[in-house]
Amino acid sequence: MAREYDHLFKLLIIGDSGVGKSSLLLRFADNVFSGTYITTIGVDFKIRTVDVNGERVKLQIWDTAGQERFRTITSTYYRGTHGVVVVYDVTSGESFANVRRWLHEIDNNCDVVNRILVGNKNDDPDRKVVLTEDAQTFAQQMGIQLFETSAKENLNVEEMFLAITKQVLQTKKEQQKKAAEQPQNTISLTDRKHSRGKQKCCS
Amino acid sequence: MDLRQLVQKKLSSEEKCLKCIEAAKIIDDKRHLRIIAITEKRDEHAIFIFTTNRIPCLSSEDMKLETVLPVESQLRCHAETPRGDSSGKPSTEFLLGLKSPEVHILLEMPQHKSTQAFLAEIKRAQDLYSQNAAFGAVPSFDWLTKYRTRLGQSNPFAEDVFDPLKYMNLEDSNMKVSVSETDFQDRDSSSSTTWFTDSFERKTQMNGQGMSAAMGSSYGSRDSLDAHRDFDQTDSIETMQRQLGLGPGIELPLGAKPVSSREAVAKRILMDREDEFVDLTKVRVFCGTWNVNGKSPTQALNKWLVVDERAPDIYAIGFQELDLSKEAFVFSESAKEAEWQEAVKKFLHPKEKYRKVKSVRIVGILLIVFIREKLAKHVSFIDSDSVPTGIMGFMGNKGGVSVRFTLQSTSFCFINSHLAAHQEEFERRNQDYRDIMSKTRFKQFVPPLTIGEHEAVFWIGDLNYRISNISIEDVKTSIRDQKYKALLRSDQLFNQLGTTDIFRGFQEGDITFDPTYKFDTGTDVYDTSEKSRIPAWCDRILWQGVGIALLRYDSHPQLRISDHKPVSANFEVEVKVIDEKRYKKVYEDIMKKLDRIENEFLPQIKLDKTECHFKDVKFIEPQVETITIANVGQAYVEFEFINKLDDARYSKPWLTITPCKEVIKPGLSCDVQIEVYVDKSTVSSLNSSKDNLEDILVLHLHGGKDIFVTVSGNYLSSVFGSSLEALIQMHCPIRQVPTTQLVEIEQPGSLGHVDLTKTGGRLYMVPKELWRLIQHITNHGKDKADLFQIPGLQAEIQQIRDCLDTGEPEVLPGSVHSAAESLLLFLECLAEPVIPFSVFQQCLSASNNLLLSKQVLSQIPDYHKNTFHYLCEFLKEMLKYSEMNGLEIKFVATIFGEVLLRAPPSASKELGSQRARRHRAQEEEAKKAAFMYHFLSNDVLS
Repeated sequence: MAREYDHLFKLLIIGDSGVGKSSLLLRFADNVFSGTYITTIGVDFKIRTVDVNGERVKLQIWDTAGQERFRTITSTYYRGTHGVVVVYDVTSGESFANVRRWLHEIDNNCDVVNRILVGNKNDDPDRKVVLTEDAQTFAQQMGIQLFETSAKENLNVEEMFLAITKQVLQTKKEQQKKAAEQPQNTISLTDRKHSRGKQKCCS
Repeated sequence: MDLRQLVQKKLSSEEKCLKCIEAAKIIDDKRHLRIIAITEKRDEHAIFIFTTNRIPCLSSEDMKLETVLPVESQLRCHAETPRGDSSGKPSTEFLLGLKSPEVHILLEMPQHKSTQAFLAEIKRAQDLYSQNAAFGAVPSFDWLTKYRTRLGQSNPFAEDVFDPLKYMNLEDSNMKVSVSETDFQDRDSSSSTTWFTDSFERKTQMNGQGMSAAMGSSYGSRDSLDAHRDFDQTDSIETMQRQLGLGPGIELPLGAKPVSSREAVAKRILMDREDEFVDLTKVRVFCGTWNVNGKSPTQALNKWLVVDERAPDIYAIGFQELDLSKEAFVFSESAKEAEWQEAVKKFLHPKEKYRKVKSVRIVGILLIVFIREKLAKHVSFIDSDSVPTGIMGFMGNKGGVSVRFTLQSTSFCFINSHLAAHQEEFERRNQDYRDIMSKTRFKQFVPPLTIGEHEAVFWIGDLNYRISNISIEDVKTSIRDQKYKALLRSDQLFNQLGTTDIFRGFQEGDITFDPTYKFDTGTDVYDTSEKSRIPAWCDRILWQGVGIALLRYDSHPQLRISDHKPVSANFEVEVKVIDEKRYKKVYEDIMKKLDRIENEFLPQIKLDKTECHFKDVKFIEPQVETITIANVGQAYVEFEFINKLDDARYSKPWLTITPCKEVIKPGLSCDVQIEVYVDKSTVSSLNSSKDNLEDILVLHLHGGKDIFVTVSGNYLSSVFGSSLEALIQMHCPIRQVPTTQLVEIEQPGSLGHVDLTKTGGRLYMVPKELWRLIQHITNHGKDKADLFQIPGLQAEIQQIRDCLDTGEPEVLPGSVHSAAESLLLFLECLAEPVIPFSVFQQCLSASNNLLLSKQVLSQIPDYHKNTFHYLCEFLKEMLKYSEMNGLEIKFVATIFGEVLLRAPPSASKELGSQRARRHRAQEEEAKKAAFMYHFLSNDVLS
């Protein structure tokens, strides 16, 4: 029997409350958009199967609560994540300023993980306060790919998720290649775990 | 009553239900409960599938017959072990596919003994069928007619369970019965070239079987396909589900994965949406057959092979009796084969170049297939097989050879057969046909492909059917007058077609040529030997499939090498060409749709609130909030409040959730009680603000999301749970003390840096609340029988708590017993016991010695010492009245020993066996009592 998928990846969407994390997920997984704002209280996930260069990738995409009071709990959901989508709202400077904190959160909770920066709500030039250039400069500094999206207008959403998926797939292949080249080198992970004394994820 | 008996009630007396099990029929990606029974009558078996409108099914009235499948050669069973779910757990289900020309059903059964037994029974029935069929006893299954008719007549809308897909099946069988009957009656007068079963059946068959083979090759692998119709492509999920009968009341098995057969479903939908990405092109097929009677090709063959201006795309040429030599028969070597191959190659249509696809031969039966060179690159999955049916059933003088391949996305199968000879042996010919049909397997495929699974099937050969029941003179007259139609009525093949299983589903063109057998070799004269055989249409070409048009069907009498004349048929066949771009688009669309359904099937719940606020929570006074969890999804939901982070419990200790784990049916809801209860174990940390009434609960849905429930509240401080150190600094009731000050004085060691001049200038010797309690008990309890033994009332204790916390009313409410219990509770709740933790072990060690005990006491802070002595004096006073209140020194020592001497929390984790622990506890209790005893029996102050 043909396999249902060739790869299964876990993606995580993080970012300030109200930047449109759930909307991005809904748009990508179910191709719908709801104008009414329902704050996510918890963590939710949806699946979506995509084709990347002929390989079938099943994505399990986790959407997290952005509210500050849940920060400690949501950090536990970073475990086992292959890729993180960090979202800010292009109409909110504060949400962009907080991206640094979110990236920090990733560093604290994950080892090797692919990241992508997403400026959502990019559908009304009049309300846009985070300039593309600024975001681009920041993204380059951090070595992250930037996407400006609109879940509402379905702009760039598919492209963004496909980009992070490709990154994750690429990383997996590189790791597999590395593992094949150096099969004896198996102690590094354990070492790191001990030295940092923290539960790590994203191998 | 067991299921088998229920099914038996539905059968007539001679019919027997052998085995019966429950299974889930997978329709698209949903499961529907069915009862599957294998029944038998006189060695004929059939599978009955019942729907049930009650779960569990309790009476035969609950069951309705949905499908009847006779166990015969056309019924195929195949097993699939579905994938485990994404967590990698192996599946516990077993998938059985049942495929007949009418239907294709996918059943999911538990991997269980009863399933094994059931499958074994099907296997046994199949074996029995093939045994019987091999001996010519082909079951008629006439006893099933009544059921099939009943199915056909039933009004689908009268059914209780709405399952529209079911009715589509009913229509199939209904149509089949009625149409083939009329076909049968009209056959003689029919001018149509279609003799066989109705086109509807053929179509169904092609959809169900032939397509799968083609799809198998073009869409990757060929595993089973889900039966039944696809999703409505444009409809919403809601509509789909409605169509699928997934309304309320129809239950999915717990933990059902709606898309465990996702691959199969995807393939099925792809097939049904073929039109969107498949283009049809036409190819021309030439089929030729010639019994050459062992002769060599001494004549040019172009008269036979080139009959049309336009060159065919495919040549399929069959020979019989190619080589009658012993060598060919015994050693499978044939010099003639090369001769004929060369001859054929030479005389293929001159306008085109051809490439050989494949040739296959057993003894004298040779099949060669060519394809136009330009099309060669589109040919794939070439395979061949041969089935000997000759002498002793396995020699190759008779039998069939076949070649299959896929051109673009359409599967082709060519069979060349030489069936049993002799005028009267038509039953043998029939059997040869059945053997070739059932035994031909293209083994390149897993499982091997059969003839019936192809889209375009061409059966050519010396089928050897004769003209019978008519005199040779009449035959020759008819031939002379070219009354072929009349003559055909005496043709053994024609007479069987459409009425029996022989060449079921096949068509043949109108015969407008003379019988092709038997001629005096080298002439156009029918047999003049003394045997004087009756001329016959031995050499025939039949086909099966949709999109096949016959252009020409003819014999070629100019070729006189053999005692047979060659026959040819030209066809135009529609071939499916997949447009990759459009295919990908449709495929992605289907994936999206399936993803969406998979997402729909994730557990979905609604909470009426995600925040619980508890106002003014008091010590030992529970408060409850109810959260209603409604299952608004499609599947069962199992929720559980799980531990977050590294916590050992789902919440802080002052919270209880009932139930904290439950399963909710779709459409139903569950009330969850969230209770806050501050008891002696949690009170001191709340009082000292080490803890607060705030928590986040993680409500986890199995296989789904997590929801955070926020719990908050304000706690009203109480003297219960306060420390002695803080209490002696309080000059007003605790409720009147500002929170900041409370936090401050609750800090251990706060007494050290308190500025007495600022706070009223004095400290109490003992907490005033303790004083009030003891005064009250002393005043009212001396003469109360069973003091400290009769429990107090919870409500009164709560009143006493309020009185002590607020200072009102002046007189302590409630009975003295409630006050006595409050006293014990007060002492128990002290964050630091009256005898501090630090000296606990010393006290136990000193318990056998008064002096040592006193020494230990001298180390503890004054306010602890004062409190201890104050209590002892009070108890001694009470003991004076033991005749009235029944107090006894040992009893008092024991109960107060327990509350005044408490082991430090760190020591609570005890090791050793349960027995050892119990022993140690008893020992400890005795020591505590002994320690107290000293102070109750002696005048310690002196």
